[in-house]
Amino acid sequence: MASRRQAVAAEIPRLRRYARALLGDDGEADDLIQDTLERALARLAQWREGESPRKWLFSILHNLHVDGLRRKSRRPPHVGLESLGIDQSAPAADGASGRDLDRALQLLSVEQRQVLLLVGLEGLSYAEAAEVLEIPVGTVMSRLARGRERLRALMDYGGGDKNGRAALRRVK
Amino acid sequence: MTGQRRISEAELHAFVDGELAPDERGEVETVLGTASAELALAREFRDLNEAIKARYAERLNQPLPPAMGKRLARLGRNGPTFPRQLGRAAATVVVVLGAAAAGYVARGLVDGPHAPDTAFVARAVAAHAIYIQEVRHPVEVKAEEAHLVRWLTKRVGADVRAPALASLGWRLMGGRLLPDQEGLPAAQFMYEDGSGRRLTLYLRKETGRNNTAFRFYERDGAGSFYWIDQPLAYALSGRLTRDELLSLANAVYAQLEAPTGAKAPTEPSKGQ
Repeated sequence: MASRRQAVAAEIPRLRRYARALLGDDGEADDLIQDTLERALARLAQWREGESPRKWLFSILHNLHVDGLRRKSRRPPHVGLESLGIDQSAPAADGASGRDLDRALQLLSVEQRQVLLLVGLEGLSYAEAAEVLEIPVGTVMSRLARGRERLRALMDYGGGDKNGRAALRRVK
Repeated sequence: MTGQRRISEAELHAFVDGELAPDERGEVETVLGTASAELALAREFRDLNEAIKARYAERLNQPLPPAMGKRLARLGRNGPTFPRQLGRAAATVVVVLGAAAAGYVARGLVDGPHAPDTAFVARAVAAHAIYIQEVRHPVEVKAEEAHLVRWLTKRVGADVRAPALASLGWRLMGGRLLPDQEGLPAAQFMYEDGSGRRLTLYLRKETGRNNTAFRFYERDGAGSFYWIDQPLAYALSGRLTRDELLSLANAVYAQLEAPTGAKAPTEPSKGQ
């Protein structure tokens, strides 16, 4: 069990990074991580031998996140400081562009954001992301494609590259 | 272009995400060589991934907030709602969390059974020792030259990247190609800080061994953290304190991390 606990602890930085990017808020992210760790500890014995700790922990995190969204949807919408135009994020090395990225990510649907971050940020394979999110691989791919396209538009990537997009539509 | 195989959008995403089997990958690479629009788009997708990683990289080294540690510590104190055994489990995690807070576990605490051979890190440290002394020719290709990474990627045979360490005070000088074991190509990137100290990242293709945690090697005053993150093996070497080198290794790892686990070949044209 000791090595299992170590393996869980080793994943904490990644879990926090993912939660922060997913939720766009440090406090909410750490609450989610706290709950994830507590549940993981309580269920350490359920972690199958040979299963990647990362995938297992991301699955727990995902389920808790979805539960939280369901509860939230029954409550009045939360008005965060961000929506009042007050930027709480710590100044990052990349400053304004980093905050643009935060905002752009939050403008995606939560489903698109999950896939985009599990694959693009955490490096999960499509198959792993599908297992974590309990959706078919094909759905992972379509959400990823739509999410990236949207993020690309929001971040103004390829602004002067209409050819690229036109050509892509042609080849689809 | 006429008559040539076309790449679907799904295939482009799969290519960028490392989801293609080697032969498919090769095929797509060949087509991309002449399809500039698709190539540009693939780069944009990759840049998006990189931008997201760069934005959140620092989170990997952030200490845990005290409240989180406290709540987990309470779990460890055999509270009435938790059985004794779980209490102990939680207590251990709290101890390990301390290490996490110090930024020591971004890579993983548990060493796997398949370490890279020490010959690899020995070669990396030897190359470090030789080239950091160079005043006029520390690198073969300077960082300013756009083809540096492309060239090394091609020669090493895997997606090579030079991590950006400027925010930590280390400027990328450039890189060179070196012979590793049995004439296999290896790449070395060199960095310099404001006081002229030099740091090298040595890497070569590694597909035969499993991923590993960081390991430490030291020789003649030069230390090196080395690890495998398939498809590459890395060694970050410098004459720095072990802690300094470790935090740099964590930063490098955070930027370079490859997709986890084995990639199952997918069929991107289906399943939509």
